Amino acid sequence: MSVWSKLAIAAGVALGLQAQGAGLEARAKLEAPEMRAIDLQGQFRSLGEYRGKVVLLNFWATWCPPCRREMPSMERLRRNMAGRPLEIVAVDSAETPEEVRAFLDTLDLGFPILLDSDGQNTRRWKVYALPTSFLLDAEGRIRYVLKGGAEWDEGEALQAIENLLGEAAQPVAR
Amino acid sequence: MHFGRTMKWLWALAALPAFAVQAALPEYRGFPGEGTRLLLWVSAERGRAGPEAEAAGRLASQGVAVWSLDPTGAYFLPQLPSSMDAIPVADIVDWLRAALASGKSVTVYAVSRAAVPVLRAAARLDAGERARLCMLLMYPNLYASAEALDEADYLDVGRLERLRVRILQPRRSAATLWLPVQIDHLAGLGAQVSHVILENLREGFWGRETPTEYETAESRHLDALLLREMESEACK
Repeated sequence: MSVWSKLAIAAGVALGLQAQGAGLEARAKLEAPEMRAIDLQGQFRSLGEYRGKVVLLNFWATWCPPCRREMPSMERLRRNMAGRPLEIVAVDSAETPEEVRAFLDTLDLGFPILLDSDGQNTRRWKVYALPTSFLLDAEGRIRYVLKGGAEWDEGEALQAIENLLGEAAQPVAR
Repeated sequence: MHFGRTMKWLWALAALPAFAVQAALPEYRGFPGEGTRLLLWVSAERGRAGPEAEAAGRLASQGVAVWSLDPTGAYFLPQLPSSMDAIPVADIVDWLRAALASGKSVTVYAVSRAAVPVLRAAARLDAGERARLCMLLMYPNLYASAEALDEADYLDVGRLERLRVRILQPRRSAATLWLPVQIDHLAGLGAQVSHVILENLREGFWGRETPTEYETAESRHLDALLLREMESEACK
């Protein structure tokens, strides 16, 4: 095999790996911005209450087709992970509670939905596209970002969650 | 034979200026209108959608001449937002000047990333020429980068003193929350910026795969929407 053929294959593999890895972007343990929102029952919620758990934080809106498409996979993930330290939190961006409730009547979702009616949290997290999701480790640090939808109960997304759950299960080295 | 070759060269040289003038204007579709208004309609990267062409036709029948440009089609570019950044700005400058030379009142309407080449072209005009234009920008995408958790960066489009810009922003868009930042950015470049929120609509509502009933109805009234904005205080 010539050197050029090898180089061509290497380039192809490198491009393939790049494509395979596209989607979830790893972040170097970023501190999470503040999250202050209410849930559909009007209760104040913050990320602090999920400390010790891996968190899938998803910004979405009812009018956004890819947001709606990925929600069933988030619910399957929740059910598959029952009993494990994972919390799924979906933050609706800049809509009224009525719009959100009308949409939720069409889906059976067991994870908390938070309301960001004035968009303050969306701005604070600098979310420019919907859906945008963040995976936080058990220490509350941002480890992955995904712009666009995913099937959360399979493939790369599930692997990233499993990795973070695996880290959470390890004793902390001091 | 030698004479023949010389004649070919002479013919080619004679044809060059005419070709250069031709090449400087983008290939657009004209919808003649008898009135005093001319709308330069620049579609987004996905090309001219059926409802857009129909709306242009209805505007023409109401007296508004429309020059409709499908940039990715005209320049054989991939239907990607980044293709808009590759449109030759000099061509758009010539196109704007040709429109101004018509003597009609000129409004430019650009969708999404198509705002980039038209703003860049406007920046290259004289301030006096810019002052004669009004730009309607439908959910303009001017980002150089917009990554979650980071401040967004805007593309450099140049100075826009005396240019009237009116942003048409569908409410159901992630960009709506960032509209004040975009307005500040354009105002910082010298443009006179106003905006209108289009309630209950999403970006590209006239060409969506699964439109709501309201979006379908509104896409049939795209001409009325544009006529209203052309005649608004911001564009008068």
